[in-house]
Amino acid sequence: MSARNRISASKTSERVAAVVVKWGFVAVTVALILFFVITEPSFRTPENFFGMLKFIAPTAIAGLGVMLAMTVGGIDLSVGASAGFAVSIAAWTMVIGNQVGGVAVSVVLVCGLLIGALNAFLIVVARIPDLLATLTTMFVIVGLKLIIVDGKSISSQMTLSNGTTAPGRFTADFLWLDRGSIGPVPVPVIILVVITVLLWFLLERTRWGRALFAVGANPEAARLAGIRVQWYRTIAYMGCGLLASVAGLLLAARIGQGDVSAGNSLLLDAVAVALVGVSVLGIGRPNAWGTALGAVLIAVMVTGFTMLGLPYYAQDFGKGIVLLIALLFSFTFSRRRTVVTAGSTTSAS
Amino acid sequence: MAILRRAAVVTALVAAGALAVTGCAQSSGTPAATSGASTAPTASAELPAPFDGDPVTVALVRQSGAGDYFEAWGAGAEAQASFANIDLQVTDARNDNAKHASDLEQAIAAKPDAIIVDHGQTDTIQPLVTKAVEAGIPVVIYDLALTDSEGVIVTAQSDKSMAEGVLEQLIADVGEGAKVGYVSATGFAPLDRRAEVWDQVVADNGLDVVFSTGEVSDSTASDNVPLVDAALKQNPDVEAIFAPYDEITKGTVLAVQQNNLQDKVKVYGIDISNADLEVMNAEGSPWVATSATDPAAVGAAVVRTLALSLAGELDETEVLFPAITITQEFLAENEVTNVTELRAAEPSLELSDVVVADWLPAVSG
Repeated sequence: MSARNRISASKTSERVAAVVVKWGFVAVTVALILFFVITEPSFRTPENFFGMLKFIAPTAIAGLGVMLAMTVGGIDLSVGASAGFAVSIAAWTMVIGNQVGGVAVSVVLVCGLLIGALNAFLIVVARIPDLLATLTTMFVIVGLKLIIVDGKSISSQMTLSNGTTAPGRFTADFLWLDRGSIGPVPVPVIILVVITVLLWFLLERTRWGRALFAVGANPEAARLAGIRVQWYRTIAYMGCGLLASVAGLLLAARIGQGDVSAGNSLLLDAVAVALVGVSVLGIGRPNAWGTALGAVLIAVMVTGFTMLGLPYYAQDFGKGIVLLIALLFSFTFSRRRTVVTAGSTTSAS
Repeated sequence: MAILRRAAVVTALVAAGALAVTGCAQSSGTPAATSGASTAPTASAELPAPFDGDPVTVALVRQSGAGDYFEAWGAGAEAQASFANIDLQVTDARNDNAKHASDLEQAIAAKPDAIIVDHGQTDTIQPLVTKAVEAGIPVVIYDLALTDSEGVIVTAQSDKSMAEGVLEQLIADVGEGAKVGYVSATGFAPLDRRAEVWDQVVADNGLDVVFSTGEVSDSTASDNVPLVDAALKQNPDVEAIFAPYDEITKGTVLAVQQNNLQDKVKVYGIDISNADLEVMNAEGSPWVATSATDPAAVGAAVVRTLALSLAGELDETEVLFPAITITQEFLAENEVTNVTELRAAEPSLELSDVVVADWLPAVSG
């Protein structure tokens, strides 16, 4: 075989691979949705459609947070703990502090920013590796949360340590965050869409987003190009903390009390969703729509499996397979393509 | 791709960590899922509507399905469901209350023929149960406290029958007017219901309550030892102690043994597990009686309650499942050392005469 032929053959297979990498995941999601729509009558109702999106919204929002940390080459293991912290703080502010919902939301968001700032401080100033820093933060804020609430789940009408009954309760406007809807669309779904669009715009359409990716790809090159690397990393972690606390607000409104175990299950799903997001559209780097789509795929799978009558423990297996396929797309199938397009990313190896 | 590669490593680490944690939580003892000794019951009548056609879809929305008790409960429910031509769609929130709410919400959206909610937090579940009732879906709840149970069928273990049976044994053993102790905590619905029975029995039999103590914590058994220990040092002449929750009972037993009072003080508990049976059977154990239900039989009975209700044959809106009192003597006579043997030795645990019909016998294994 001549060299010329070999090159053209490899070009064709490359083109096929590129299409598969770009649309494979979307095709799988659509196929899965079609399958459930055809086989399960209760799957194709609008209630179920919005129900799935609502169910996955906190995970997707926390996943978007992890995605943001990944843009600067980091990771945040404290998102689940931050969301759990938000649940307890929201309950504490309303039930024991007797404040209205708006105050609780503000307090929670400020706490989220502070947790993000703590992560950034440990990573940027104290120069602890991100993995270890956010792991530490996770333990610290879980512990701090338990200290603040005496290790108890805060609920309205609870008896306080001095024998009196808690003065406040979860206000209706706060519960609206998860239980309300505008027209047929549940509020959490609207929040998720707004956040996704905002992040997509910031990351893909502004100089600011390009700077974040530059920092993630090669901090040294970014620094030499005049980007304030530490500042952007700080911003990314604070954004992640903020998003995790938004996820926590939705969980708090869903549960309706300050459940101390809330958020525990969020971390793995959030990291998985962000990882799936990297490969979904073949973009090969963290991105907002991919993360949201990854979350939708997981919601479709979990709901469809349940309706098919598969046992709940099949869901973890399904999630594992999805993640595996996503990683295969990112590393194995797209290797050639990544090398070609990653001219700017010197750390491609 | 360095980012990705590192993130993948992180995920692997986190997943491994999670596995390690759940690995540690593996429950001891054998799951009591099957009641092998019983003969398979058969119906003496045809299934009535709506069970005579396509399978009836029922969503079973569980807060947790892990651990001996809950696994057996689920196995019983599924066995009964398949007997009655019910397609049971089970979701398990694994103690994640946000997931429990989502599961229930999606169950409502899927419009099943009925929903069973197993356990749950009042503030989380109440609004959704109301929503299900408004959507016209029949709802049965098990061991869940609702503030508004209008239109809902409530099922629970009968704490009253549990406490009454054990306390009857206590009175038979030590007689009226005896010096007794009480170890329990307030603020937990089942313990509060057991406390009501205790107060009544104390009043009716002129018992002399020389101490009341106890607490529920993360490590209830060991945390109650010092409390009971102090109470016993002050009142070594106490004849019987009522400790109506097996973790508290175990702590009480330890304290009695620490004070070398096991020949003089009798302990009365509630609940049963393989570990509890081991404590009761130990040489010189002061734990002389306890109250038991078979979780598999209870799970099956909840499904029967629903089935009878859908067939229009259920008159009440609240069904309580009675408990059996088990004594140390009974265990020794029948050489019972685990829950499976207990079920064989005490067939009434199968609840074979509770919420049954000629077309719907009790099937739990």
